[in-house]
Amino acid sequence: MIDILTAVVHASSGSGDGGGEAWFLLAGPLSGIALYAAIFRYYRNTDKSHRFEQETIVDQTAPITGDDVKVDEVRGTRETRIRGDNVGEHRQRVQRVR
Amino acid sequence: MTTSPESPTPPQGVDPTTTPQDVAPAAASAPQDAATDGLAAAVAAEPAGPQTENDRLHDGVNRCPKCGSTEVQLRPATGTLVCLFCRHEWSEARVEEALGLGEGLRDLRGTVIASGASDIDQAVDTVMTLKCGGCGAEVIVNTTTELTARCHWCRHVLTINEQIPNGAVPDALLPFHVTHDQAVAQIRQFASKRRLFAHARFKSEFTPENVVGVYLPYMVVDANASADVAGQGEVLIRTYTRGSGDDKKTYYDADVYRVQRHLEFTVDDLTVESSADRANIDVSRNTNNIINSILPFDTKNAVAWNAAYLVGFTSEKRDQDVSAIQPRVEDQLLSIARSKAQASVTAYDRGVRWEQESLDVRGTRWVSMYLPVWLYSYYHVESGRGMVHYIAVNGRTGETMGSVPLARGKLLLAALAAGTVVESLVVAFLVATA
Repeated sequence: MIDILTAVVHASSGSGDGGGEAWFLLAGPLSGIALYAAIFRYYRNTDKSHRFEQETIVDQTAPITGDDVKVDEVRGTRETRIRGDNVGEHRQRVQRVR
Repeated sequence: MTTSPESPTPPQGVDPTTTPQDVAPAAASAPQDAATDGLAAAVAAEPAGPQTENDRLHDGVNRCPKCGSTEVQLRPATGTLVCLFCRHEWSEARVEEALGLGEGLRDLRGTVIASGASDIDQAVDTVMTLKCGGCGAEVIVNTTTELTARCHWCRHVLTINEQIPNGAVPDALLPFHVTHDQAVAQIRQFASKRRLFAHARFKSEFTPENVVGVYLPYMVVDANASADVAGQGEVLIRTYTRGSGDDKKTYYDADVYRVQRHLEFTVDDLTVESSADRANIDVSRNTNNIINSILPFDTKNAVAWNAAYLVGFTSEKRDQDVSAIQPRVEDQLLSIARSKAQASVTAYDRGVRWEQESLDVRGTRWVSMYLPVWLYSYYHVESGRGMVHYIAVNGRTGETMGSVPLARGKLLLAALAAGTVVESLVVAFLVATA
């Protein structure tokens, strides 16, 4: 038993460069949490609501118009999306201009 | 589209036909001005809404047009009213055509409120006394939950059809189409898929036959609006890696754009709750989101009011005015605008961060409706806090959604077991590869 624990600690503490395997040890707790959340959602359906954006008849009476102006450049970022991306979060309200 | 010199060249790797620059020419300011003028004109002279009271009917005894019986009720299979004495069947007129609700959306200006959706006068009592036209007895009806009653002396069915400002009689209703048996089957099927982790008491007390048919109050809103959204979007220029081995990392270069979109649209039959209780959607305290999620209804098939459609069902009275519901409608219009705007910014492959939005509602039309819902309710106390769990069936489409109380201990054990199994596999893998 002690041999196994020693081997795991050795492996997870990063046998040398980087120690990437340590993250594997989170797989157990994370899968438990994910299962709990998935079953909770399946039974309680707390995430469900009327999808009025898709299920209401909307007629666009004129083509969408707009401006697109380049204002800046980002170089060498490690983020895969723009910070604060909310293009798909239709119900998240932003500053309302009157 | 901006054609100024600062317009960028399309970034490499992005299809020129779908670059952010390829949107239709910018709208002239004229429509905005017209909208403002229109709104000002509307405020100056608010258009009168349609009168929807059913003139053929009144409060009290309303008889079968063929035999004179008051034993009239809905026949769900056909959606018609049927006389239980002579089997005569008939329907009230569809309001879509009668009131022209599907027309003129582009010309909507101001706030048009149908007579059944007008403001509630708090001084008007919700408990009404009807004088039976058969025997003269007085029968009390609490319009909060019912709009029909049987005279306890002569057995005539009495109905409430006159629009008084207490919110009880709406402009229109959508009759039940799904029968009690069908609703029971739907609820049973929904719950049977969720047996394993359902609370033991819920399982033992589960009686779907107790499902109740309820007409719930909604506002059905048409709108003519425009919206503007503004923010920043990023287009990926280059992806590359630096380092090697475990230190290998991915980096991105992107161009940042200021993005603006203007949308003009009409919305037909946006349906929102008009009862404060139902509109209060808070998943930590109630399961009203369940009832909300079985929307939409085929509101185009709604018919003029006749309380006989409610015989055998209960109802919930409207208790909110247009002014109280308006912020929710505006919020939903903004969400619709954002949803439509998304299709025009697909070229921003690193996403868009909307920062500002505005809405200009040129016109709205409000019609109050009772819509049919089969509701199974189960009161469950957890951690000292009680909550009613609903399983709801759309009385027209049969769409079913629900909330089933959980056996938390059992679920925790399952999650723990799954986590332990996965962790054991990971440990075994790490040991094997160490």
